[in-house]
Amino acid sequence: MAKEIRQIAIYGKGGIGKSTTTQNLTAGLLEMGKHIMVVGCDPKADSTRLLLGTLAQRTVLDTIRETGDDVALDSIMKTGFRGVKCVESGGPEPGVGCAGRGIITSIGLLEQLGAYTEDLDYVFYDVLGDVVCGGFAMPMREGKAKEIYIVASGEMMALYAANNISKGIAKYARKTGVRLGGIICNSRNVDREIELLRAFAKELNTQLIYFVPRDNVVQRAEINRKTVIEYDPKCKQASEYRALAKAIDENQTFTIPTPMTQERLEEILLEFGLMDAVEEKIYHI
Amino acid sequence: MSNFTGIVEQERYTCAIGALQTVVAIPKAVPILHSGPGCGEMIAGFFERSTGYAGGSTAPCTNFSEKEVVFGGIDRLREIVRNTYRVLDTDLQVIMSGCTGGIVGDDIESLAQEFADEGKPIVAVDTPGFKASNYEAHSIVVNAIVDQYVSLFEEENEPRSESATVNLFASIPYQDPFWKGNLREYKRLLEGLGLKVNILFGPESGGVQEWRTIPRANLNLLVSPWYGKPIVDHLSARYGQPYTWYHRPPIGANQTEEFLMQVVSFALEQGAPIDEKVAAAFIRHESDAYYEEIDSLASFLLEFRYGLPNHVHILHDAGYVASLSRFLLHEVGLVPKEVFITDNTPEKYQDAIREDIASISAKREIPVFFQPDAGKAQDLLRKLHYSGRGLIIGSGWDRDLAQEKGYDFLSAALPSPYRLHLTTNYIGFTGGLRVIEDIYNGVLATYGREATL
Repeated sequence: MAKEIRQIAIYGKGGIGKSTTTQNLTAGLLEMGKHIMVVGCDPKADSTRLLLGTLAQRTVLDTIRETGDDVALDSIMKTGFRGVKCVESGGPEPGVGCAGRGIITSIGLLEQLGAYTEDLDYVFYDVLGDVVCGGFAMPMREGKAKEIYIVASGEMMALYAANNISKGIAKYARKTGVRLGGIICNSRNVDREIELLRAFAKELNTQLIYFVPRDNVVQRAEINRKTVIEYDPKCKQASEYRALAKAIDENQTFTIPTPMTQERLEEILLEFGLMDAVEEKIYHI
Repeated sequence: MSNFTGIVEQERYTCAIGALQTVVAIPKAVPILHSGPGCGEMIAGFFERSTGYAGGSTAPCTNFSEKEVVFGGIDRLREIVRNTYRVLDTDLQVIMSGCTGGIVGDDIESLAQEFADEGKPIVAVDTPGFKASNYEAHSIVVNAIVDQYVSLFEEENEPRSESATVNLFASIPYQDPFWKGNLREYKRLLEGLGLKVNILFGPESGGVQEWRTIPRANLNLLVSPWYGKPIVDHLSARYGQPYTWYHRPPIGANQTEEFLMQVVSFALEQGAPIDEKVAAAFIRHESDAYYEEIDSLASFLLEFRYGLPNHVHILHDAGYVASLSRFLLHEVGLVPKEVFITDNTPEKYQDAIREDIASISAKREIPVFFQPDAGKAQDLLRKLHYSGRGLIIGSGWDRDLAQEKGYDFLSAALPSPYRLHLTTNYIGFTGGLRVIEDIYNGVLATYGREATL
């Protein structure tokens, strides 16, 4: 019997480090010998550059725009680090068209072209920003991604976004079986960050699956268009990403999130001193 | 929009993009649909025989498809606009966006500006179907033409510089099946009072040249229970033109006299150089001609022994329902029973319309329903029974109901699959007579064939 592909969507506030985390996590899983496809769902088309070592990938939508629907799979799918398959959905120019519909179109095309092969263990969808409209919820609709991870940090806006995304997940959970696998903290070195994230995750009926500490090697690797694992396999941060990969590979905790009201979210933030810290800061200026 | 929600079985108007007929009615103006091809087909199907210069299924359309949704459809639109200038001899192009273009957010105004910068006459209007009905979008389109086209010629058309000129806003082209005849008759009547009239739509209009002179008019006339109100409000704000508002299309002598006298007194107040005596003589002359026909009709009405309808149900927009009810009760002797306003009247206008209908008679209450779903209106009519011969005035869709109930039937509203409309008018003195002709011609057509009813 064919094994089921674990299809995972990564959401989170813009700029939180979704693409970096996804690619480094993917590198960890690749080292474990997994077969993986990464689908970038961001018009900026920068979700796979660390795995490919290059940015210049033709996106699915560029290809459709230029040549129509008659597309060959190998013209849009590139192979990168340790055989990972990379696709960028791409999108219209900023300010025109509908990027959400673009994602629907390109995922539909990938299916038609038979990109979801049986040898795959994982498919990752790296999805832009918040769930801004139906199109960006596409990876969790129609039973594509069954697992969601939200990248967050101890910053207030990151938690607002995570809570909002959870509303989207809860909405689709009953119909499509999509579940939240946990929160990945991409640390910003905020005070009491880990406690805050744990409390937040608990309130959301999920877990803090991993706490990725901040380390400048990540930026150095990025400049070199590499994941940390490829750039400096022996460094401490590489082990962190390996541990994240292991946590996700072994994860058994999948839940329907219980998004909280704005008031409750602010209470938690207050409890962990975040509001105080912010107020103090403003006070001292 | 009104608060009506739910499933509608028989909508007798269309969505916002139906206001492309407003453009079609301006001589040599062309609507450009930034929508899927289905929108144009729907409008052509609903209005029927309404192609005009380049409307109906000949209207240029970007045929919005998935590619345009994802990447935006502006490039495609630019191509269509450019080619339309090449192929058609047009005086004005009006780009109208449908639902998909509206959701994707294509910036049609900027595109129109590109062509306007080249000196091309062009206007862009956002008319996604979810925004408004065509009754409402008519005003949106007219105001857009004023803001984006008429405004370019303001220097040579000083506001209110012609004291005897009026702009008339009355029948909505094509949605009022008698619009062409009505506008011609309004123009004739108002000119009879000594006014110069910008009629703006139809063959009596001077096309875009006339539109450019809109600011010159001393005053505006609004003849409508609610639609078109945003136009006169806008012109009042933009050019300081005051308006007088007659709340229904005047059908028959009573209302037409009242309407014309209201116009005369308002025009005089605003300093229009018209001669009150000449105007009064004109009204009297028209009125005499009307009563001459009513006189000769009297013997027919009294002596025809084979049954005439004594009551009527009307399904139409607010203007026709209010006007026909008043006319038929007072001037024809047909008693209006349940009447149905099917134009999805916004709630804020409903009370005034109810009061207007209630004021028709102190003795008889006419039950009025604001019912945008004419299917529900028909369900109610099926259950009602009155003694005597009845008449239904409605759309072609009511023909079968009339037959089922054994009623006479007059097709006077859209959709109109069983009646052709060319130059017939229903407003004015002559319009009232024409309504009488149409009702009794229908009755006489059954004369000697009663058994089949």
